Amino acid sequence: MKSGKRGTILVGIATAVLLTTSACSGGLLGGGGDGAAGGDASGDSGPIKIGMVIPISGSSAPTGEYMKNGAQLAIDEINADGGVLGRQLELDVEDEACDAQQSVAGANKAVSNGVVVSVGGYCSGATLPTIPIFQKAGIPMIIPAANSQDLVNQGAENVFMINGTGKQQSTAALTFIKKEGFETVAIVDDNTSYSKDINTESRAQIEEDGSAEVVLSTSVTAGESDYSAVVRDIMGANPALVYWTGYYQEGGLIINQLKNAGFAGQVMVADGSVDPSLSQIAGAGAEGVFATMTQTPDTLEGAEDWIANYKKAFSSDPGPYSTQSYDAVRLAAEAIDKAESTDGDDIIKALEDIDGFQMFSGPLKFTPEHTLSSGGFVILVVKDGKFVLEDDLS
Amino acid sequence: VAQLIWDGLFVGSFYALIALGYSMVYGIIKLLNFAHGDIYMLGAFIGFAALTSLGGIPASLSIGALLVVMLLSMALTGTAGVIIERLAYRPLRGAPRLAVLITAVGVSFSLEYGISAIAGPNPKAFPVRLEGNVFDLIGARVSLPQIILILIAAVLMILLNFYIQSTSTGRAMRSIALDRNASLLMGINVNQVITRTFFIGSALAGAAGVMAGAYYGKIDFLMGFIIGLKAFTAAVIGGIGNIRGAMLGGLVLGFVEAFGSEWFGGQWRDVFAFAVLILFLTLRPTGILGERVTERV
Repeated sequence: MKSGKRGTILVGIATAVLLTTSACSGGLLGGGGDGAAGGDASGDSGPIKIGMVIPISGSSAPTGEYMKNGAQLAIDEINADGGVLGRQLELDVEDEACDAQQSVAGANKAVSNGVVVSVGGYCSGATLPTIPIFQKAGIPMIIPAANSQDLVNQGAENVFMINGTGKQQSTAALTFIKKEGFETVAIVDDNTSYSKDINTESRAQIEEDGSAEVVLSTSVTAGESDYSAVVRDIMGANPALVYWTGYYQEGGLIINQLKNAGFAGQVMVADGSVDPSLSQIAGAGAEGVFATMTQTPDTLEGAEDWIANYKKAFSSDPGPYSTQSYDAVRLAAEAIDKAESTDGDDIIKALEDIDGFQMFSGPLKFTPEHTLSSGGFVILVVKDGKFVLEDDLS
Repeated sequence: VAQLIWDGLFVGSFYALIALGYSMVYGIIKLLNFAHGDIYMLGAFIGFAALTSLGGIPASLSIGALLVVMLLSMALTGTAGVIIERLAYRPLRGAPRLAVLITAVGVSFSLEYGISAIAGPNPKAFPVRLEGNVFDLIGARVSLPQIILILIAAVLMILLNFYIQSTSTGRAMRSIALDRNASLLMGINVNQVITRTFFIGSALAGAAGVMAGAYYGKIDFLMGFIIGLKAFTAAVIGGIGNIRGAMLGGLVLGFVEAFGSEWFGGQWRDVFAFAVLILFLTLRPTGILGERVTERV
């Protein structure tokens, strides 16, 4: 709708104005206009389209913005260096709204726009149904953020995950629990695919390990304000550590309400809750909250230049998954370059062959199931309202 | 058990405040105003904007400032409700019920994504946070802000009850609910009364929005969705169209949720609450205080 409307308006205006419009609106126009011509993905003229199905609306929209900017930054850098195979790259962003129906529509649109690689995927529940669509079209997916084990359990050959999986995150959690000697743990999820995955996985690993006891494993409904019910349950079970595996909005509220209820134990959150807003929402209660997370620009050494570039381009701070999205685009460009082709099968082969490609999470080599060989999870802690590195688990 | 009752009462009074708007509007023009939950969200955002523009408020004045902002927010959300009625619902008053229902859904989305476009999709931390001493009251952990909020809700509901029962406008509202055409013939200015109904219902939701923002500390543009559904449920439990029923329904839903999650675990809370709703409505389709609708021939 949006691009159609904008297109009509722009056609009405003199084309000279068009010359100055940003790369982003050029992308929208291109997406609408070249549908028929661009459908031939292996054509060797015009820009190479990189698809990105991410949440632009809905409650996860802030993260979608971080991801879009991260990807755009990589695209701009690559284009400034002459592009890939002598062609420019172009980002085609479609909305998934963290919703399975919308993501399917978005993926179909991206495919018909002629994208050659997909670098989207934040909400696992919304990314899952897009896999068969891209698979059928022979388009490789480099998933920067979504990390439910379900995504790779399907065994689709076109799926590559550059975020650690739920399993790897759970292992990091367990390592930290053992290290700190927490004896009782309560795990709470928000009923989404990603969150439940970490809950079940962590619970299984902790129970198998036997050094700690899971005294409570429960779910809450996302999108509410009052979590007194789960707070009551936690107070009743009285664990040494609460592990919240959902997103930051609910996480912040639960941490605040736990603190108001007089909870004396520690809280740890999973990567979906690592956001500057967490401590704003949770208030003083956020101090000392741990998180299982891959490295963010804030915690990485030597990322200052990158942050400065990002700020210059978008006049805002990078957020969660900006780096992963940036890396996903760079990885896609690298694979297209190595494959010397925009054909899906060639790119998939090139991705499988990649060894030692430098990313924020370290040198990349995919496992046979197309996940990172090491999750790269570390433990962060909230200090003065910001997430800082607590333990790199090495 | 005391804790459960207290938690149920607290959440229930939020449900009740919002349920009132649903129930009043349904009672008077038989419209399920699905945009009502978003009015609650709008109230929270108006409160947020007002408090932010006031700048730093010393903690000692925060309750006072909050009350002022709440009244302001009530006035603005009330006005918003009136405008919505005028623009979106009144032109469709003679149209089939479904058309108006879909319009209400449309208004809901417009409000949500309008606010998202203006204020940004990020959740906002509310500038004033009600935090107070927690003390023990017969086995329940009770905090001062909770008591204040419940009192505010109670005062608003008592005022509303008085307004509906004892003023001429209130009488006019009740008569329109009974029979709009007859009321018109009796010289009641139906449009004006409907406008007032929307104003009052929306103002109550706006008040609840500011209260929720200050107590929970987080607002976002989709915050009205789930609570809107819950309040609608509360209104149906109480007998939709009935003001006292809406208050009672809110509290009942709060209690059912609190006890449900205690007995079956948190993840079963909504299953239990809505199973109770289904059971209840099969036994008593008109709700607790709803009157049996006689078929007019």
